[in-house]
Amino acid sequence: MEDHPGPNTCRNTEETKLDTKTSAFSPEQVQHAIEHAIHYLPSQGPIAVFVHHNTLHAFEHLPFELAVIEGWKKYGAEPYLSEDRYRHELLRGRIAREDIEQVLAKDLGQRAEEPIVLGTTRYELRLAMLIHPIRNAPVEELRWFIAETKALREFREDVSPNVESRVLRSVQEWMERNSKVTQQLTQQLTLGSKSEDPTAASSPEQWTAWTLAWLHRVCIKGASLVGEVLNDVLKDAIPVRRHRDIVLGSHGIDCDVCVNEQLIRFLGSATDQGFAQWGLPDRDRPLFELFQELYGVRSIFQPGWLKELSDLIAQDRASDRSSIESIVHSLESLGLREYGLDDFIDSTLLSLPGWTGMIWQLETNAEWTPRPLRAGSLQDYLAIRLLLDRASLRSALGQIAEIEDQPSLLQGSLSMERLAQVLAFHQRRNVRQTVEQRAFVLFQVAQLLGWAPNELESLSATEWQSLMDEISHCGTMERRRLLHLAYERHYRNEALDAIASQPAPVPSAMPAKAPGPISFQLITCIDDREESFRRILEEIDPAIETFGAAGFFSVPMYFRSSSDAHYIPLCPVVIKPKHFVDEIGQLSQQELQRRQAEARRVLGHASHRLHMGSRSLAAGTLTSLLGSLASLPMVARVLAPRLTSRIRELVAKVVKPSQATLLLIERIVPEMSIESAASESAAAESAQRREAKLDQEAKLNQGFTLEEMANMVERLLGDLGLHRFARLVFILGHGSSSLNNPHESAYNCGACGGGRGGPNARAFAMMANDYRVRKILQSRGLEIPESTCFVGGYHNTCTDSVEFFDIDRLAPSCHMDFLQAQSLIDQARERNASERSRRFTSASLGLKPPEALKHVEARAEDLAQARPEYNHASNAVCFVGRRLRTRGLFMDRRSFLTSYDPTRDGPGSEILTRILQAVIPVCAGISLEYYFSTVDNAVYGCGSKLPHNITSLLGVMEGAASDLRTGLSQQMVEIHEPMRILFVIESTPHVVLEILAKNPVLNRLVSNRWVQLATLAPDSNRIELYQDGGFADYQPTSSAIRVVTDSYACYHHQRGHLSFARLGVQ
Amino acid sequence: MSSVLSCLAAIVLGCPILTLLILGFCGLIQRPLPERLVDRLTKFHVAMGLVATLGILGIMIGTNHPMEVLDLGNFVEIGQEHFHFHLEFIFDRLSIPMVLMTFVLVGVIGSFANIYLQGDAGYYRFFVCFSMFLVGLLFAFLAGTIETLFLGWELVGLSSALLIAYFHERRSPVENGLRVWGIYRVADAAFLMAALMMHHWTDQGEFLRMVNDQPWPQGTSHLDPLASLSVGLLLLIAAAGKSGLVPFSGWLPRAMEGPTPSSAVFYGALSIHLGAYLLLRLAPIFADSFVVRGLMFGLGALTAIYAAMTARVQTDIKSALAFSSVCQVGIIVMEIALGFWYLALVHIIGHAFLRSLQLLRAPTLLRDYRTLENAIGGRLANGQPAWIARMANHRQIQWYQFALERGYMDSMIDQALLKPFRKLFKAFERMENDWLRWLESAKGSGSMKKTIRQDWL
Repeated sequence: MEDHPGPNTCRNTEETKLDTKTSAFSPEQVQHAIEHAIHYLPSQGPIAVFVHHNTLHAFEHLPFELAVIEGWKKYGAEPYLSEDRYRHELLRGRIAREDIEQVLAKDLGQRAEEPIVLGTTRYELRLAMLIHPIRNAPVEELRWFIAETKALREFREDVSPNVESRVLRSVQEWMERNSKVTQQLTQQLTLGSKSEDPTAASSPEQWTAWTLAWLHRVCIKGASLVGEVLNDVLKDAIPVRRHRDIVLGSHGIDCDVCVNEQLIRFLGSATDQGFAQWGLPDRDRPLFELFQELYGVRSIFQPGWLKELSDLIAQDRASDRSSIESIVHSLESLGLREYGLDDFIDSTLLSLPGWTGMIWQLETNAEWTPRPLRAGSLQDYLAIRLLLDRASLRSALGQIAEIEDQPSLLQGSLSMERLAQVLAFHQRRNVRQTVEQRAFVLFQVAQLLGWAPNELESLSATEWQSLMDEISHCGTMERRRLLHLAYERHYRNEALDAIASQPAPVPSAMPAKAPGPISFQLITCIDDREESFRRILEEIDPAIETFGAAGFFSVPMYFRSSSDAHYIPLCPVVIKPKHFVDEIGQLSQQELQRRQAEARRVLGHASHRLHMGSRSLAAGTLTSLLGSLASLPMVARVLAPRLTSRIRELVAKVVKPSQATLLLIERIVPEMSIESAASESAAAESAQRREAKLDQEAKLNQGFTLEEMANMVERLLGDLGLHRFARLVFILGHGSSSLNNPHESAYNCGACGGGRGGPNARAFAMMANDYRVRKILQSRGLEIPESTCFVGGYHNTCTDSVEFFDIDRLAPSCHMDFLQAQSLIDQARERNASERSRRFTSASLGLKPPEALKHVEARAEDLAQARPEYNHASNAVCFVGRRLRTRGLFMDRRSFLTSYDPTRDGPGSEILTRILQAVIPVCAGISLEYYFSTVDNAVYGCGSKLPHNITSLLGVMEGAASDLRTGLSQQMVEIHEPMRILFVIESTPHVVLEILAKNPVLNRLVSNRWVQLATLAPDSNRIELYQDGGFADYQPTSSAIRVVTDSYACYHHQRGHLSFARLGVQ
Repeated sequence: MSSVLSCLAAIVLGCPILTLLILGFCGLIQRPLPERLVDRLTKFHVAMGLVATLGILGIMIGTNHPMEVLDLGNFVEIGQEHFHFHLEFIFDRLSIPMVLMTFVLVGVIGSFANIYLQGDAGYYRFFVCFSMFLVGLLFAFLAGTIETLFLGWELVGLSSALLIAYFHERRSPVENGLRVWGIYRVADAAFLMAALMMHHWTDQGEFLRMVNDQPWPQGTSHLDPLASLSVGLLLLIAAAGKSGLVPFSGWLPRAMEGPTPSSAVFYGALSIHLGAYLLLRLAPIFADSFVVRGLMFGLGALTAIYAAMTARVQTDIKSALAFSSVCQVGIIVMEIALGFWYLALVHIIGHAFLRSLQLLRAPTLLRDYRTLENAIGGRLANGQPAWIARMANHRQIQWYQFALERGYMDSMIDQALLKPFRKLFKAFERMENDWLRWLESAKGSGSMKKTIRQDWL
């Protein structure tokens, strides 16, 4: 340290200066600021468990429109799609002009008809600005545009001929009246432009050009009369929150680049969940200590700024500072003032949002991971970050001092105010539009609204001012907001119209005609991907009934399959399961299974060793020498993925656990009191101990009691309103499997916490089939006929395969029914695959159903496939109500379908309450995550999947080293239409409002407009739409709905989104 | 027979060149071909090339013909300057296996990328670079003269840098692409100097003449020891740059910025072996120079140890694979130095396939780990060798930091190479400014200075 007198001396001056300063931060203040910042961090945990949630969860207390703007300010992310994109949708007919008109009229309310200038109302002005693009550009570009294009010679292309001729006529008449002024004007104008005297020779072109030149001149004159106008906030403004922003703005040196590179390496090691063969030594110690130890020593080839860092660390160590003390010290030496503290800490933590958020997740919310972090890690991280920031800033200032020959730069306070001064940093935030830019906007608006120059000439300065104010109030963000509302309105109307056009339900008072026999019943998840599957089954056999319920089927459990090492929770993330269920081999198969497990273990160890060895020195040499053998699987897997997977499956049969298993759902151990798990700092204990504890807990909480089973069965059947039973009731959990897909878990069932819902369905069926459970239910008045059998199953939404569990235990009398049902389901799988394939550009459009099934099977096995399926993309609606209200409606896989029978709900609407409590947050989370990942894929989403690189077994980076990316990838959202989800609930507004009043979580989402809400009356087709705290009647805009023979006719040879249709044959 | 062979050889080289020309031309005139057509074109040409190479191999084995030379004459010849650019290609025991491997890998990756990149904005750009890369590799592997090898070497370098910077809307791919390009230039400079020296000493660049027309790996050079030492050293620098040997190893993980398939085939499997191939091809020339071989062995060993250590601490899959590749290349270089040329050849080919497969399925890592955990029935041990655990604590931390920071190799290059370079040019800038000031005072006109400054900027 001593050999660097330079930095030392200036540091001393810095410190002496600081000592005189009175305002020091207290640790509490800093901790408070950190807590404030935590809310803004992304809350996505380790990627192996991906749960959809609202990206802007931190802003849910605000109305949606405000929140997206806040997000824009905080993260620099787009709040809506681009204006061009909405206009494209307008041209395409996805937004109708009427939508914009209605939205605008509603938005302006009474202010709509207020005149602005020349008899134009506010409504007309804004409408013109919404429908037509208003261009603006930097002054230089604008000058070029005016000089080199036809801007001043022809009207804009989107000005209607009527308006054009009206303007021309008005000018002409005016000129005839005032010929003297005309001559003067002509002279002036001819000087400026090429237009000639209109009175002399007047071809229509010249005439137009002359008029436009005049118009532009008038606009310039008008714009120069205008005073201060709040500008549309410019995109390239650099918000100054940290020192880095100042140095970047003044000298183009980004101090964050080297800091981030360093941090990514360090954090990767510190959070590694077991990927690296050589882990961070003593990683159980606090991060701050580890960091000090690693970087406190200088080495020869270190870049200069790291040498600064080791000096800073040495100082901290000398004064024996803890991480919080170090933060306080750093803040002081950075010359921070109290008022900027929150903002500074927010933006410091948000400079690597993904990693920072992951630290917080590992610290607080990840006791199930192999290596969570200890409490206080985020604070340690901030201390580390500030040390690095200081070192990097110091070295950047050193560079600048050298270039500019200003040795004084490094001396004195480092406060942002002083830096900004010394570095002559000009904030560009307050760039005001110049007269020319304003004039050009006015010029365009004048053309669109048909204002003639002679009329504009007469405006007073105040009128110009109010016009300009008005225009700038309708800036690009405002226009995008309105266009987005129109975009949503269009789809909402289509959806509500379609639902309203369904046949009205028969009033329950009248006895319905005797219901026919039911072929079988099918219960699936509410997932939008099951919509087509259910619809197609109903299409194949109209006597099939389908139901939808949250995919864990009200069986929350920790589950471990016979081939799994660990328990995984299978229930929504908000629930912490209390019961453990194991899958074990059947008694007769246990010896075989034991041997298979042994073989798997040996093979597993061997392949793990191979995997590790191939990356090491000696073993790597050996494996590489034999590496040519790797060419076989590689060529085969890439060129024939489906065939290869078939062969692999055949080979794997030897060690694959046999199907002859059963679930231990019943409690066999007597209940014991469990010592309450020490809740505080799970991170402190070692991983093995925690896992051992979970195992112990599992032993104690193995399985459910009969009473509990009966409760769960009763609850689900009640939710579904299922009371007439067919002989066979299928219940299908769902999940998805794909290769080369780090986000695989996001494709699984959200209601199972990113797991696969098969075991839940299987457990439910076992419970519902248990005669003792049925007996209990019978005593409660729920009679399940003896002939009814429940069959659990698992639907893979990627390959469209359906697998059934425990069919060997079906009563022989059901066998025929089962085989029949199975063949129908097989048909449905093929047709479902064909409907899905229309979306995939690599599948040709004319694919026949059997080929389509093969195609989707290949997708799941293809290493090269970046889009194994489209997951929830394009989701837009969630219907809660009886299936008969939507049955026969083609909804294009865009609707969640939750079964709920309002006629069977109690007076307190308990059933609807518990359904909505689960469905609204979950579907809103999915819809909003898709929304944000689509409108700004680079910030809210995780960018393109192509360069993704799995790191620390926690998440993905882009390329070699980057922030941990959260959200959804471009390939997942590319076909999504970002809209807030529309809930249609079969109930009365009264009931729904009451539920909202009692549930603040739901109310917050609804009243802040994060979701749209409508009710459908249980006894008629009356629809009411939620607006500002109440419901208003919805009048269907059109009654005509497309009628087609079947789904195939609807989607056949179509790639894009499809409108609703009624399926003719029922 | 020979005419059939020439014909086949022409197909091997011609098909990829044709692809590049078609794709490049359509791209240039702003009429990119549709994805389906690009796919068919590349697949067809790669398949043709593969079949033709197999044909050559078959004929050569059948007729017991160890070598076939395709001489295209001089591309440029300036008689009085004694300069010629001689295009000549050799099909022999070394180049044919390499070409076969290239076609298989490139073909597989081509069809992989066709699906993987489907609908991506850079699809066309990728395939243009891809075919340029293929042409470059074929030129490099089949080269019969050092200038032909250089041509291929340059094409590979250019397309590599462009592919690394594939996502050019983000900052770090472009920066890393530039960095790799910079290191390639160092390697190129060394290579060019070596080529010039060879021409100077032997008056020609044909490998065959240098080894008395013996097919590889026979033959010995007639270079004098000093010449073979200096040429050998320069080639070693060139190979080190291209193959990521110490101290240039830092570029390989940085190259993982592009889409997964390009990282896989290009940097993980093919580009990285180009330096080793160069050494292998020219091995007979300095087989007698024990100094060169000793240095080569040392460099290889150093690289292998360094990379093995660094690979162990990497926490992301692509960097870990990158350093593992460097480690193997180090071992391959050692094998070449020891004279186990066939072993090195087998090693290169095996390693290329293995790494490609591993990189292609890198995004499946989480699933693979879960499968393994389930099979084993517990958490995976991370396989930390016992000798690390036995180290004293502070030593362990020191070495860990060394490995984590990749031995500060990049920073070392910056300080040892870049900094002096920049200082030099800064000095030039000052000189120029002084000169301009002098001009200004002499002429008394200010406008002159302005125009020159602007041009320069």
